Amino acid sequence: MRKPVLALIVVIAAAVAAGLFARQKFHAGSTLTARPTGGDFTLQSSRGPVSLHDFRGKVVLLYFGYTYCPDICPTSLGNLSAAWRMLPPDLRDQVQILFVSVDPKRDTPERLQQYADFFNARIIGLTADKATLDDVVRRYGAVYRIVPVKESRVGYLVDHSAFTYVIDRNGRLITQIPHGTPPKEIVRTLMPLLTHKEDTP
Amino acid sequence: MKKTLAALALSAATCLPAAWAADADQVQVIAPYARAVPPTAPASAAFMTLRNRGDHATALIAADSDVAEITELHTHAHENGMMMMRPVARIPVPAKGETQLKPGGYHIMLIRLKHPLKPGDKVHLTLRFADGSTKAVTAPVRPINGMSHMHHGNMHHAH
Ligand SMILES: [Cu+2]
Repeated sequence: MRKPVLALIVVIAAAVAAGLFARQKFHAGSTLTARPTGGDFTLQSSRGPVSLHDFRGKVVLLYFGYTYCPDICPTSLGNLSAAWRMLPPDLRDQVQILFVSVDPKRDTPERLQQYADFFNARIIGLTADKATLDDVVRRYGAVYRIVPVKESRVGYLVDHSAFTYVIDRNGRLITQIPHGTPPKEIVRTLMPLLTHKEDTP
Repeated sequence: MKKTLAALALSAATCLPAAWAADADQVQVIAPYARAVPPTAPASAAFMTLRNRGDHATALIAADSDVAEITELHTHAHENGMMMMRPVARIPVPAKGETQLKPGGYHIMLIRLKHPLKPGDKVHLTLRFADGSTKAVTAPVRPINGMSHMHHGNMHHAH
């Protein structure tokens, strides 16, 4: 009698732990959310609309931020672009970094693109109206909120999650890379998703 | 009486510098730098370590710079993966201790830059401490991590 009960408890505990882990992996913000679905989207670049499906066949690194961010966003984009430059040129062509601003009021697509160009990694800057952004943000499990701050003369600040979403060549959301991940580790995450010359007969 | 007063005044005068050393003199600024940012970036940040050699606690209460219209003291809080930047009224520096201003934490926020900050530029900062004393600091502009050997306008070049 005792033993099966104990075994059952262990099984339940393991299942709960596994479930927590799985959710933890995609956990951002103040509430635990179901595993995000990701999916296609269309946002505005300085050269017109850009959709995720434009990059079929490429691995996409998707990052949400804003240009008023002096620290977190440049750090993330710096690491992503350094990882991109570490790749051999043929593999670079298979990776597209997208920087999505959740601050369309201050970040026009033109300004955003100039900001993105600074990182020398062919990053595309994207933004949209709030409703479109909110939908994409939610589907990828990201979070942001506009915070009016009386004590600051910037007017408002933007709280945001700082994960990079990794989307495979078929447009599927694979994983998220935490803020502060060094370029070498980003490369390690990317490598299995890329087509290597020796793979193709 | 006059003599006593004079003696008192004299002792007060000689005691003052030692007992009431200005916070700015007690705080050593180590490795200050400001971060290079993209040309259209509206803001940047300056970082440094503040080491307090004195035996009373102080705080950085304000900063000014020659490169931004607005200079504020900020910190970052990370909660459940959410990055929250907030202005703070003071950055405490404990007695005989130090406080680091570093990416992801306390920083001097440079808002509405008058010109883009490029590596090699210098930012002149004035730090104001709890007792009102001030200290001038020159912070060199350093590239963003991973961007150290990049050159402007040199797109897609290989390493
Ligand atoms: Cu700040």
